[in-house]
Amino acid sequence: MSTESVAGALKKARRGVGVAGPGRSPGARPAKKRKNSHARVLLLFALPSLILLVLLNLYPVIYAGLQSLRNGDLISAGDFVGFSNYINVVQTPEFWHSAWFTLVFTVTGVFGSWAVGLGLALFLRTRIPANGLFKVLLLLPWVVPVVVSATSWNWLVATPQSPLPILFDALGFGNVLFLADPVLAQVTVCVFKVWVSFPFMMMMMSSALASVDINVYEASKVDGASSWQTFTQITLPIISRSTYISWILMTIFCVNDFPTIFLLTGGGPVNATRSLVVLAYSTVFQNFQTGPGVAIAFIMTLVLVVIATMLYRQIRKVNIE
Amino acid sequence: MSTDTTDVPITGKLQVGVTSGKRRTLSQTEHRGKWWRLVIILIITGVVLAPIIAVFVLSLQPSLGSTATGWTLENFSLVFSQTNVGTWLKNSLGVTLVTVVVAVAVAAPAGYVLSRGRSRAVSGYSLILFIVQSLPVVTAVIPLFILFAQIGLVDNLAGVTIIYVGSTMSVAVWMMAAYFDSIPITLEEAAWMDGTSVFGSFTRIVLRNSLPGILSTAIFSFLLAWNDYLVAVVFLRSDDNYTLQIGLQTFFQQNQTNWGLVMAVAVVMMAPPIILFSVLNKYFSVGGIGGSLAGR
Repeated sequence: MSTESVAGALKKARRGVGVAGPGRSPGARPAKKRKNSHARVLLLFALPSLILLVLLNLYPVIYAGLQSLRNGDLISAGDFVGFSNYINVVQTPEFWHSAWFTLVFTVTGVFGSWAVGLGLALFLRTRIPANGLFKVLLLLPWVVPVVVSATSWNWLVATPQSPLPILFDALGFGNVLFLADPVLAQVTVCVFKVWVSFPFMMMMMSSALASVDINVYEASKVDGASSWQTFTQITLPIISRSTYISWILMTIFCVNDFPTIFLLTGGGPVNATRSLVVLAYSTVFQNFQTGPGVAIAFIMTLVLVVIATMLYRQIRKVNIE
Repeated sequence: MSTDTTDVPITGKLQVGVTSGKRRTLSQTEHRGKWWRLVIILIITGVVLAPIIAVFVLSLQPSLGSTATGWTLENFSLVFSQTNVGTWLKNSLGVTLVTVVVAVAVAAPAGYVLSRGRSRAVSGYSLILFIVQSLPVVTAVIPLFILFAQIGLVDNLAGVTIIYVGSTMSVAVWMMAAYFDSIPITLEEAAWMDGTSVFGSFTRIVLRNSLPGILSTAIFSFLLAWNDYLVAVVFLRSDDNYTLQIGLQTFFQQNQTNWGLVMAVAVVMMAPPIILFSVLNKYFSVGGIGGSLAGR
């Protein structure tokens, strides 16, 4: 914001007061009293959001936590069963299969989209005609609803008559079934996730790179550093803070991601792409077992919070340095 | 854009003391490199956008059982006249716009508290926001479904809207707070000295200078509500209450999907975010979310 507009606003505010009558002289109200009334107004300011957060975010989670200790379904609360839902859930092979796929999906989602996003951010920093336009165009996969992009990807790869399998066949790879083969379906879902998420990373990295002082590069060039050295020794450390932040956010996005997987494969084929969220969803809304379903979601969230906290600590360390 | 000129000072400085002939060669290489890079970025953009371009192209092609040839708008007139797409579009727009307005109205004052407050209660509030943000929507959806079933908010657009407002809240508050941080508090202090109330200084000084922050938050809420699938698929049950996201799924047939019609609906669905984005893309900041997350 320019200082001009700020000064203008201040003038306007002052004028607004002037119209209402002569302003009270400074210190007319005791400072402590004013501080108290400030606190009260701030509480009023925060109140609507607090009510919404408690009612729509905290209450459901606490309720779900209690429900995970019971054997009920969507209609009845059921009986108290202790931690048996948790114990039963972690003893099923489905849980570990889903946990493994969630890990693969998250790791490829985070680092794949980061690598592509950073690469494009660096590339768009070089002199390219109309690079502002490309910056905007390349953000579209993030802006378009996942329902639309999943539909389009389905059209591209789902059946043997789809364009991409036909192309692969023509190139001599044989009949590639992207969504029918378990391993290929996993790969396809991960690539789809990278496609959806790289614009986010590109934006984060672009704004981080924009703050890098050009003189630093100049100096390293004069000192004879190779471009790889410049990248690892200068660029990466400077953007490390933003990198950690983007990793935390993307980890949360990937682990909690439901539509990207569900709309492309529905968790199939033979549950190959059933992540923990999809497993929790189908346990609750298809098998009507709320207890185990919530238990799965809770275990997942716990691990997620631990990882997020670890990365968050890393940021604070970077900040201190 | 400032990044466009990043190379200039480097070459400028390095060429100090170099003959003018050498300088011309350098800039010629650079010039050629520039066009190569244009070709590369064109190819990358083309490949990346292929799925989105395909949606547009297919929506303009004659659909199954059509007599039309070449490019046609027939799919669009078909989906609007013979299916419920008009209703779904109205539902989606209504739900999204209400979400945006309520989210900004609630998040702006809360963000102000987060930005200006310096007490323990405020850091506790900030911690609540952080925890809430990392909870999966699936966990919240189950109890809300049970609760909403008791008070008649299942299969109800108002119920879905309430959930959207709730799920935008933590990030919206963060975004507003991050923007308010950039407005110097000295302005408000001066106004308080003149006898302006906190509310008065908030609306007349802070909000008046926060249009970019408000727009970023509004865009974020818009995309969250418009693009949601999970909440809508759980809560909306009858055809007349569907949003576009759920409505589109009814077009997929077991044996043969009529891709022309599907893609026409898809175009209707992605037009609002793309239009909004192309008009307001400079306010579209995800960096703000991340920055505010790490700052606290």
